[in-house]
Amino acid sequence: MNVIELKQLTKTYRVYQKKEGLLASLGGLFQREYRDVNAVRGIDLTVAKGEFVAFLGPNGAGKTTTLKLLSGVINPTSGTAQVLGYVPWERKNAYRRRFALVMGQKNQLWWDLPANESYRLHQQIYRIEPAEFTRTLDELTGLLGVRELLRQPVRELSLGERMKMELIAALLHSPEVLFLDEPTIGLDVIAQHNVRQFLKQYQLERQTTILLTSHYMKDVAALCERVVVIAHGQIEYDGSLAGILDRFSGHKIVTLAFTENQMPPDLTPFGEILEVLPPKVKLRIDRNVVAEKLASLLSQHSVEDVSVEEPPLEEVIADVFSRATRSKEA
Amino acid sequence: MSEQQPVLVRVFLTFARNSLVREMTFRTNFFIQCVSAISWTLMNLGFYLIIFHHLNRKPLADGSGWQQNEFFVFLATTWIVFSIVQAFFMPNVQEFSELIRTGNLDFVFLKPIDTQFLISFAKVDWSALANFVMGILLLTVGVWRLTTQSNNPLSLNLANVLLYWFYVACGVTILYSLMISLAATSIWLGRNQSLYDFWFYITNFSRYPMEIYARSWGWSLWGLFTFVIPILIVINVPARILARPLRPEGPWLGLPLSGFAILATLVCLVISRRVFSLALQSYRSASS
Ligand SMILES: Nc1ncnc2c1ncn2[C@@H]1O[C@H](COP(=O)(O)OP(=O)(O)O)[C@@H](O)[C@H]1O
Ligand SMILES: [Mg+2]
Repeated sequence: MNVIELKQLTKTYRVYQKKEGLLASLGGLFQREYRDVNAVRGIDLTVAKGEFVAFLGPNGAGKTTTLKLLSGVINPTSGTAQVLGYVPWERKNAYRRRFALVMGQKNQLWWDLPANESYRLHQQIYRIEPAEFTRTLDELTGLLGVRELLRQPVRELSLGERMKMELIAALLHSPEVLFLDEPTIGLDVIAQHNVRQFLKQYQLERQTTILLTSHYMKDVAALCERVVVIAHGQIEYDGSLAGILDRFSGHKIVTLAFTENQMPPDLTPFGEILEVLPPKVKLRIDRNVVAEKLASLLSQHSVEDVSVEEPPLEEVIADVFSRATRSKEA
Repeated sequence: MSEQQPVLVRVFLTFARNSLVREMTFRTNFFIQCVSAISWTLMNLGFYLIIFHHLNRKPLADGSGWQQNEFFVFLATTWIVFSIVQAFFMPNVQEFSELIRTGNLDFVFLKPIDTQFLISFAKVDWSALANFVMGILLLTVGVWRLTTQSNNPLSLNLANVLLYWFYVACGVTILYSLMISLAATSIWLGRNQSLYDFWFYITNFSRYPMEIYARSWGWSLWGLFTFVIPILIVINVPARILARPLRPEGPWLGLPLSGFAILATLVCLVISRRVFSLALQSYRSASS
């Protein structure tokens, strides 16, 4: 069963251009100039129940905009979307009771009050049964290790602690669909790790359908089997993390250790030389000729050790991002 | 599981409680605000005492019957209505404009509760209720003097008192509708700093008995602020129900005006809700 279905979802922001200088801006009072920003350009996507999907993309790719559309915060320019059978921007209460959105850069808790008070408000708004409320709150604060912070004003919490409190606020009503927009942004390594561990365990237990955006590879590698790479408002890739390599990386990294003093003077016919540390050499070889080049290397030279590796994922993805940028500019 | 709607009263009580907890953590600030509000109110009273001293037992507008004690009731009503607005709606409407500007309105859309309710009642400025207390005191003094004066004393009945509070509620509703409509326009305008100024200019007209406009071109102001932006009704209708400046009352401002006030309240409320939901459709969040 599909929980999320997007068809040709498009969002264009009309941005008014500020003019330089006083005279020009006075003129702008009467005649405004604007520019269209195509934040999301025809996205098709289906997500099944219980999937944990990552949206990976550079800044400005349209990740947040997509989540805002799915949460019904903004209206689309065209296209359709259904989440749990609802059209998000119709803003039905029945829908709003069943999903949650967490934004790493914004907070919804009352700043001057302990998180506890905000949670009680949530309990009223979502009509959570007292017993269930206590149980869920207890479970979540336990998992995140923040039980003793409940009575402390939110403004006195660290960024990491605040993020955990925000997560709890979003999960109190046990949403079936969860949208997470960069939940680990700005956190230190330990806090990032904690949040990741928590999400992993929570999803495993509850089978919540989760859509997470991030530009940290680590989030994605730790949590999601399915990755959607989005750049310039379009989906560039949809599949497994490992599949990104097959699809976008045209080469492998081969490291050879030659027998003492047997290193050939010229290795360029075999591939691009990345690093030479005699008797070791690191080569970049086209994926489809790896076997062939390796065979001839081994038959012509005396080699003690070989390793064949995939290039680092970060590099490949950075490459995908920059390729998308170039093709857009072209 | 049945789809349970939140109980609005309970949500509101939680809001009010949270606001109080918050104000109590900044206690000094709370008392300073109370004191400054009361000081302003007392200066306001002093100003009118001087004016009535100059008028020397004449009413505020010729033949209107708004003498000092009647006007005390009027002034008290002004304080009561505006303190309610100040306490329950002003902080929320200001916050609303701010939420639009920063894009933090996003979260409001996620909650399974009426969006206008959530925005309108999220905070209570308890310190503003200091003037509510002042209003009640002045009202008591005014009414007590009117009912005990030897010359043409006022006779009060329960119906008058109940109607008085009913029309105070109408007045608050009209002011609220005006405010939330003004604030909602900041979704279209991007930023609306002049909101507060505009609010101040407009509401200024409501602070005087409407008879003072009944002069030549003053009638056009009277028409504008009665029928187009019905701000004149807000204080005038409840105040004259209680103080009855002309005893017996002349025909032209009695029943027709009270009936019109109910209509105006309903129309304002409906229009503001339309403006509000129309504006929300145009909300575009902010890039973060
Ligand atoms: N409220 C807005 N008004 C105008 N432009 C916006 C708004 N929100 C986002 N944008 C633009 O849309 C594009 C996509 O933004 P966003 O979805 O926030 O990207 P991401 O989350 O992937 O970094 C960006 O170019 C951004 O400047
Ligand atoms: Mg973003």
